[in-house]
Amino acid sequence: MLKLFRYLKPYWWQVVLLILSIGGQTYLTLQLPALMADIVNQGIVTGDQNYILATGLKMLIFALAASLCALIAHFFSSRIGAAFSRDLRADFYQKVLSLSVSEIDNFSTASLITRTTNDIGQVQQAIMMMLTMLLRAPMMGLGAIFQAYQTAPDMTWTIAAGVGAIIFFSIIILGLAMPKFKIYQKLIDKITLIARENLTGLRVIRAFNNEAHEQQKFGHANHELTKTGLFIDRLMALQDPLLGLIFNGVTLGIVWISIGRLESDASYLGDMIAFVQYATHVLMSFLILTMLFIILPRANVSAGRINEVMKVKPKIHWKDTTEGNPDKTPSVEFKNVAFAYAGAEANVLENISFIAKAGETTAFIGSTGSGKSTLISLVPRFYETTEGEILVDGLNIKDYAKDDLMKRIGYVPQRGILFSGVIKNNILFGTDDLDDKNVKKSARVAQAENFIEKLEEKYNAHIAEKGTNVSGGQKQRLSIARAIAKHPEIYIFDDSFSALDMKTDKKLREALKPETKDSVVLIVAQRISTIKDAEQIIVLDQGKIVGKGKHKELLKNCKEYREIVKSQVSEQEFAKELKNA
Amino acid sequence: MPKMTTEHAKDSKKAFRAFFKSLKSFRFVIILSLVFAAASGVLSLFSPSILGNMTNSAVSSIAETGHLDFEPIKIAAIQLGVIYAIIAILTYLENYLLARTTLFYTERLRTEIITKISKLPISYFDKVPFGDTLSILNNDVDVLWNALSEGFAQIITNLTTIIGCLVMMFIISPLLALVAIVVVPLSTFAVAKIAKRAQKHFVAQRKVLGELNSHVEEDYSGQIIIKSNSHEQKSFANFQAANEKLYTDSWKAQFLGSLAFPLVHMFTNIGYVAICILGGNMVLSGALLIGSIQAFIQYLSRFNQPLSNLSEIVATVQLTLAASERVFNFLALPEEAPDPEPSKTVKNIKGAIEFHDVCFSYDKKNPIIKHFSAKIEPGAQVAIVGPTGAGKTTIINLLMRFYDPDSGYITIDGVPTSEMKRSDVRALFGMVLQDTWLFSGSVKDNLKYGRKSAKLSEIRTATKATGIDHLIESMKDGYNATISEDSDNISAGEKQLLTIARAMVENPPMMILDEATSNVDTRAEQKIQDAFEKLTRGRTSFVIAHRLSTIRSADLILVMKDGNIVEQGNHDTLLKQNGFYAELYNSQFADTEA
Repeated sequence: MLKLFRYLKPYWWQVVLLILSIGGQTYLTLQLPALMADIVNQGIVTGDQNYILATGLKMLIFALAASLCALIAHFFSSRIGAAFSRDLRADFYQKVLSLSVSEIDNFSTASLITRTTNDIGQVQQAIMMMLTMLLRAPMMGLGAIFQAYQTAPDMTWTIAAGVGAIIFFSIIILGLAMPKFKIYQKLIDKITLIARENLTGLRVIRAFNNEAHEQQKFGHANHELTKTGLFIDRLMALQDPLLGLIFNGVTLGIVWISIGRLESDASYLGDMIAFVQYATHVLMSFLILTMLFIILPRANVSAGRINEVMKVKPKIHWKDTTEGNPDKTPSVEFKNVAFAYAGAEANVLENISFIAKAGETTAFIGSTGSGKSTLISLVPRFYETTEGEILVDGLNIKDYAKDDLMKRIGYVPQRGILFSGVIKNNILFGTDDLDDKNVKKSARVAQAENFIEKLEEKYNAHIAEKGTNVSGGQKQRLSIARAIAKHPEIYIFDDSFSALDMKTDKKLREALKPETKDSVVLIVAQRISTIKDAEQIIVLDQGKIVGKGKHKELLKNCKEYREIVKSQVSEQEFAKELKNA
Repeated sequence: MPKMTTEHAKDSKKAFRAFFKSLKSFRFVIILSLVFAAASGVLSLFSPSILGNMTNSAVSSIAETGHLDFEPIKIAAIQLGVIYAIIAILTYLENYLLARTTLFYTERLRTEIITKISKLPISYFDKVPFGDTLSILNNDVDVLWNALSEGFAQIITNLTTIIGCLVMMFIISPLLALVAIVVVPLSTFAVAKIAKRAQKHFVAQRKVLGELNSHVEEDYSGQIIIKSNSHEQKSFANFQAANEKLYTDSWKAQFLGSLAFPLVHMFTNIGYVAICILGGNMVLSGALLIGSIQAFIQYLSRFNQPLSNLSEIVATVQLTLAASERVFNFLALPEEAPDPEPSKTVKNIKGAIEFHDVCFSYDKKNPIIKHFSAKIEPGAQVAIVGPTGAGKTTIINLLMRFYDPDSGYITIDGVPTSEMKRSDVRALFGMVLQDTWLFSGSVKDNLKYGRKSAKLSEIRTATKATGIDHLIESMKDGYNATISEDSDNISAGEKQLLTIARAMVENPPMMILDEATSNVDTRAEQKIQDAFEKLTRGRTSFVIAHRLSTIRSADLILVMKDGNIVEQGNHDTLLKQNGFYAELYNSQFADTEA
């Protein structure tokens, strides 16, 4: 939590004003009982009507001023809290976007989203609480003790006794209840877990006729929860009556003592009234402080979760400007590349070397887990190679400035990713060529033109959040159009064609041919038909290259390739393929 | 985040009645606790007055006799002590009784909800996201818990305090009481006014927060696209626009929302000063005793407190009604039609299944399966094929009676499934789906899920047959090791193997399988295929097929398209028909001539 305080720095003068206004509020509020005592002691006892009026008006001004101070304090705490969370959120967002893919995978997207919204919200609430209550309570408590001492030093012990009692009972009650609270929370989690399982396993549970068994399991946890709750409630129910007793007892004590002294000193009458109020202020302040000690640690957990992300040092460092001169002709070259995920012992990729030339298609095929998607995501540096080097246009990718490398690459992911907004903006997402012709042509090549033209608003049709209002195939085609609109030197298709049906797949590849005649095309695929015309097919098995060549060559001399083909065609067709090869 | 008050029950009266009715068996304890709450509220009203009287009698005895008569003060102090003690006891009893009742009540409510989940038709959960149901169980029950354990008593205490203080103030001095009454509504009015404006900003804040949420979600999950298109600056600018808007709405909502307290405080202080001036003069003129002012001021401050809580109480009531509506509407949902009574059973199952002119639709409007009839011999393998989204699970839904046909019927060994108990139908089938559901618990308990009486030796036989015995034994606690759906100590493929072993332990006469094995590495995939083969051998089985070998060797292929069964037959006859199946099949290796 303390680490995040640096976000308050730009608003230091507002914090200062806030502290001043809380100080003012405290001071003014604490004057009221003293003035009241004056009215009693000097106005009423001596019968001075004018004094009563004058002091009364003074009280009114003090009271209004105190309220004004409170208003100002709330104004600043709201603004500072909101500004704090805005700045923190902005930094957090930028931090997340700067993380590499593997770093994001470590946290999981869902958790990063919760951290950006919920956790920062929690911290904002805590900061606001600190800026008001945590500042005011000690000021008010100490000020009231001071004033009480000024009024009647020999009665101050009653307040001390009250504070002592509050602390004593809080420690005992919370000390006994806290461990049970933790158990209670765990039981709540357990109940939620069972309920969630009952929903996600709806069909399985019914298929196995285990409804009664699940209910029994739930009932057990449910009952356990009630039992723990009973223990806690028996204790916590003590809190209110005990506090009531302490407050009432202190008041009674003060009145009792004051009355006893009235005989010798009439001013105890006014002092008594003032003193009771000071005592109330002190006890309240301590109560608020104990409450804060329970609430604030929760925000600390949120702060911890935020810091965990903020302190990640990105593993990938980009050059500010590209060092060296990339070739004019596009190319991608892998030289003995190996890659392992962070913390993993085994390499996902090993000894990968190949050259992909302009105007040619290089295709990657292999079973699930063979590392083909990982391989091509090394080119835009989503992950960092563990060994070897990758050259784009003859220059090591580590020597590129980020944007300089990215502008050469048109990357189409496995699943079509779209952003809310109009279709046109989605297609133009990565390019400076904002011409409408570019939009239309890219859509046409990507076989998206037909369905876009059918939409009422055509290229200005709205895409819902995460593209939920278009089908998987349409999403994929728009993703491809987005890459085409960029006119990249290097196309990377990460299994982008599997969501398309056969016919569209074929048409798209035909339309793409003239577009990519000067570009490098890297393509990961599952269907043999998608890649069999590629100039270079690279067969991967368990992270290693086991075959490299054209379709017919591989059919002849690569066992793994033959197996893949065999699994996708009938025996007769397979025999025909082999014969042709 | 502060509580939102935008949720309103659609039918508040009905929601209230339902909530009230559900409390019936706790009526006595609740009323008793509320009586305690009212009693302690009334008793505490005496305290300022007695304290004031103590002062009065002291002042007057000094004024009259010159010295202090301690006797009446002692008596008053003892009175007060007794009152304080009774209040404390009453408060404790009220707190504890209510808390206890609430615990029992919410336990019962949760049980009712979980029981309801098992009785609702599957179709309900296919339409309503799980999150909604979970939220009823967690959040809404929590809101009712809150209302019962604190809300009711709070309302009673506040009411007694407001009325009681008013009465006491009028008894002390009608004039001063009138002043108080004039000042207080002003504060209530101001608070209500501000609360309304704050509300507007809270709503706006929530909306912007939602907007920001979707921005963040979209950008985080599309991070690679943003990165590879150098779109970071533009995305950040979009984010910042929402963030900036959130800042404005957030601080305004927070500021206005926090104003109620200082405002009420200000009006209390104004009243306080007015009472001092007026009361002081009244004491001078002999119309009032000094101790009475002391008491009056205490009543005034007590009078104000519940008023500053007023908007909060209104919000709590609204939240409670909205929650109660969701909970009790859920509990009132129509359940699955009851099993027929008496029901038929299949003895000595052979596994002959027949579809008789089955029609089915999910929404009773758009028929999906039209007049489907098929006869499946005992021990036959049925492959269900079709593109993604063709509705291949519909057949499974009908077989397992997760859904019932609109017309027509299905028989097992000649017995219509609709005349059997659902549990008896389901007991005849084993099921292995693509979704590898395991509950969090030990490996052993998960494997025994279909047959609780299974011996460890039987379990071992199943794990050996599926080839995961080594994996389980290599885990730290072996068969007692804890696993769950999202546990990462086993891979997706191994989870799939566990569900297959689970079906083997159950050893049902018929099988339903989904061959799709996504996210599974090649070696596990081979094992899974082998296990599938063992599982279906000699059993009537339905397989959602993805592999050519399965499809080719199937006795019957059901070809699905857009939810409908478009063709049926075996591989060779279907190929000869040259219809959708042929097209589908050829697409696996299209344009050989190209």
